[in-house]
Amino acid sequence: MAELRFFQTPAPHLKSPVSVPKIMFMVVVALIPATIWGIYFFGPKLTLPPLIICILSCLFFEWLDCKIFKKPVTIRDGSALVTGLLLGLSLPPGSPFWIAIAGGGIAIILGKQMFGGLGQNIFNPALVGRAVLLISWPKVMTSWYAKAPFAFPTIDQGLATMPQGVDAVTTPTALTLTKEYGFQVLSQFEPRLLWRLFVGTVPGSIGETSVLLLLIGYFLLLGLGIVKWDVPLFFLFGLSCIALITGQNPIYHLFAGGAVIGDCFMANDYTTSPLSFKGRIIFGFGAGAITCIIRILGGYPEGVTFGILVMNAVVPLLDKLLPRRFGVKQS
Amino acid sequence: MMIGKLFHGGIHPPTFKELTAQKPIKKFPSPEKVYLPLLQHTGTPLQPLVKKGDMVKRGQKIADVDAFVTAPLHSPIAGKVLGIEEWPHPTRGKFGAIVIENNGSQDDEINGVLSQEEMEGMDPKSIQNWIREGGFVGLGGAAFPTHVKVSPPSGKKIDTLLINGAECEPFITCDHRVMMERTDFILSGAYLLARACGAQKIIFGIEKNKPDCIEKITGSIHNIPLPTQVSPLPVLYPQGSEKHLILTILGKEVPPGGLPLDVQVVVSNVQTAWAIGRNAQEGIPLIERVITLTGDSLTNQENLDVPIGARLLDLVNYCGGFQVSPEKTIMGGPMTGIAQVTLEVPVVKGTSGFVFLRKNITKEEYSCIRCGQCVDHCPMYLLPTDLVRYAEHGDFEEAKKQRALDCIECGSCSYVCPAGIPITHYIKIAKAEILLRAKKGGK
Repeated sequence: MAELRFFQTPAPHLKSPVSVPKIMFMVVVALIPATIWGIYFFGPKLTLPPLIICILSCLFFEWLDCKIFKKPVTIRDGSALVTGLLLGLSLPPGSPFWIAIAGGGIAIILGKQMFGGLGQNIFNPALVGRAVLLISWPKVMTSWYAKAPFAFPTIDQGLATMPQGVDAVTTPTALTLTKEYGFQVLSQFEPRLLWRLFVGTVPGSIGETSVLLLLIGYFLLLGLGIVKWDVPLFFLFGLSCIALITGQNPIYHLFAGGAVIGDCFMANDYTTSPLSFKGRIIFGFGAGAITCIIRILGGYPEGVTFGILVMNAVVPLLDKLLPRRFGVKQS
Repeated sequence: MMIGKLFHGGIHPPTFKELTAQKPIKKFPSPEKVYLPLLQHTGTPLQPLVKKGDMVKRGQKIADVDAFVTAPLHSPIAGKVLGIEEWPHPTRGKFGAIVIENNGSQDDEINGVLSQEEMEGMDPKSIQNWIREGGFVGLGGAAFPTHVKVSPPSGKKIDTLLINGAECEPFITCDHRVMMERTDFILSGAYLLARACGAQKIIFGIEKNKPDCIEKITGSIHNIPLPTQVSPLPVLYPQGSEKHLILTILGKEVPPGGLPLDVQVVVSNVQTAWAIGRNAQEGIPLIERVITLTGDSLTNQENLDVPIGARLLDLVNYCGGFQVSPEKTIMGGPMTGIAQVTLEVPVVKGTSGFVFLRKNITKEEYSCIRCGQCVDHCPMYLLPTDLVRYAEHGDFEEAKKQRALDCIECGSCSYVCPAGIPITHYIKIAKAEILLRAKKGGK
């Protein structure tokens, strides 16, 4: 028995079974209902190419970066897959292939690898990709398609003419119309608007339309203990506060656009949100509030992307907020 | 009774206690040789009082030193001193140890047995001295000398003695069995400890996964002539941590850098109370203790009553050897225990058991994704992942500012980390460095 050799590693000697790739995989699983809905609702022709190219582009650029800078290839951790899927879901249906390729490259190279890779980035990579695309090619990024029965009339036609036919037609989103006419007019025109926003029968980005399916995915992750409730809740709170102050319908703002996908899957991203509960409250509230302010006052109809990115920049500061200390009375 | 509250964080690791929880304590036969390191406690190392060739009796004091924070050593067997040599030590690599060969005689040096009247007659000071002479240390693992714990500095009043029967470490069941089988000694030991520190009441804290112990202790505490209660505790690691035990039972938080006595409390492990009670009733100092030998690579998992100084290899052979060679051998529980290099190490006073694992549990390491699991599970409200970063960068000033010294090294952060980062280890390094620098700066 003298030749027995034991491992010499520090305590603790037990480890939980959760791992980074498992977490990434579960996030992908949680996004599948909304993804399938997007493919079905907008049609595979308009949605599958951007989604697939986006994911492949993210994986490719991560591989390329690792090769160029002679680092171990980190594709297996699954984070590039999540970034690719999130970016793809946030593109308009029918986005050209080069948008997807450029978006993936920007997200991975500029959004993540330049900061040092997984866990080191300050901004959410998918949102960095989307923001750059939105600023660089605003026309492409705000051209929406939907099957005619679900499309909205375009602004220059006025609200009188409904789109005809069964094929995909160009259409504004609910938020664009709200910006133009206000929520009151829109809801008179389409009384079932809130319901349609909730189930997802509205024009929008590929994966953002169905609040219901996104929430199902989110609650799956919440139930598994993978994500937290604090940032999403305070995001909704911040959004509703600004909506109420400005006399808008808060429920509408919660359901419309990318509020839910951005809130539950992007603002809540581990790396780019604060560590402490106090920090997370401020972060969530701020992101929600800025989103709504951009929607109401800004030049863009949608503000989720920039709302979250602005608060991402504040995270290092918010991380200076330590939790209370054990054994010290809170004053 | 529980007037305190659940602490923040904590984890629920698998307990594996079913391997040994219902196995009665077996008496390990007196070994041929014992190896007694001169450092088995937190504090000043001992000087031997015997030399090579001396004959010693069982229970005879063989090492002591003129210091306050220390605990003398007694021979667990009668026999001949073979020498004082460097021998493998479970936590120190190698350390000077007195080696004694058993001569098979029953030559005991029994200290005076204390009658009930004598116990009542002793003042706190003489009980503290009596505890010191018995060589008692905390048997939960830290091995802090008990007489120091029960000697509050002048001006500090103690009102409550907590007896820690939480036993929250996975695998380990020695305290469980001691509570079930050796209740009487625990009670008299607890009473003596309370008398020594001046506590007015005693509370036993026992995790609810040991309902048999809760019932057993509750049924016998009326024998203690002080107000005594049993507090069933929620099953949550690290419930057995002193600070968290006090918080859960009394609702008080020990201030940073402080001791339980800062909140008028003394905490003692339940087996320590047993050993002290045994000394009072049988006159035997701390020369034996109950440990758990367990893990999936051992043939028979057991709770053993062993002499201090017994060699691990002999214990393994007593348990039928290994079914499969272990990849890892741990002294103590798997959350805070120390990986062993060799089976030549002896049982020391702070040994609660040995765990033999077939497979070393590893996790592939990724970079931190800042998921915050460590923050959520830290029972001390730290931001462990930030402390890792400061330790990696050698920024120990910042680590200190971010309360690295508050860390109780429970291991919860490393356990939950999905990126497999040995967080606790990094924080331990930071703590050691901070303390070292403080020492240097002080000179």
